Amino acid sequence: MGIDLIFRIAAIGILVSVLNAVLNKSGREEQAMMTTLAGLIVVLLMIVKEIAGLFDTVKTIFNF
Amino acid sequence: MFLKLIGSALIIITSGFLGLFLSKECGRRPRELRELQNLLQMFENEISFLSNTIADAFNKLSDYSTSSTRNFFKQTSLNLIKGKCCSAAEAWEAAVKENFEKTSLNKEDKEVLISFGKILGASDIEGQIKNIRLTCTQLKMQEEKAEENKKKNEGMYRNLGLLGGLALVIIIV
Repeated sequence: MGIDLIFRIAAIGILVSVLNAVLNKSGREEQAMMTTLAGLIVVLLMIVKEIAGLFDTVKTIFNF
Repeated sequence: MFLKLIGSALIIITSGFLGLFLSKECGRRPRELRELQNLLQMFENEISFLSNTIADAFNKLSDYSTSSTRNFFKQTSLNLIKGKCCSAAEAWEAAVKENFEKTSLNKEDKEVLISFGKILGASDIEGQIKNIRLTCTQLKMQEEKAEENKKKNEGMYRNLGLLGGLALVIIIV
């Protein structure tokens, strides 16, 4: 797990919001939407491994 | 650890420079359109006051200016002197097609230039002057559009370059 992952996700979040603001301001709203979605997908990809681990843990705790 | 730092700094610097380069490209087009208009005005003066031939006038013009648009004129006069093309229109069109890549002009600008070339050398002085004025007006419209475009995109590309590099570093490193 580690605090490393949390920092990374926070940094990506900040960056995506700044990119969103920059693109919105210069009028390119569709591209702003696209970068937001891309950031979301990247973060989800980073987290999916942890979620798999979470489900495994839940399974072993409840002896499924 | 140190290597990672150097690598990420390199990535950020490179993408920052890329953004700066793209934003400068954006700024070049209005300037080139303006220079093209200046050269066309000088050409009009040449043929209306001095009655030079097209090849001579273009040669003189290309010595005056320092931008990349002068290559059109230089190449046209070379084509006419070497006798490769029969008419001024063909010489101009060949010159435009050859040198177009080196400038940062648009497809629409290319159309304007080619339509200028069609009337070149095909009528008397009055007709030529009218043709030049028409082309100048069209170029001016393009220039205004390009200026607007530049204002929108210049800052954006710069910021985008830097932020994109940052994003890459954060995701990969």
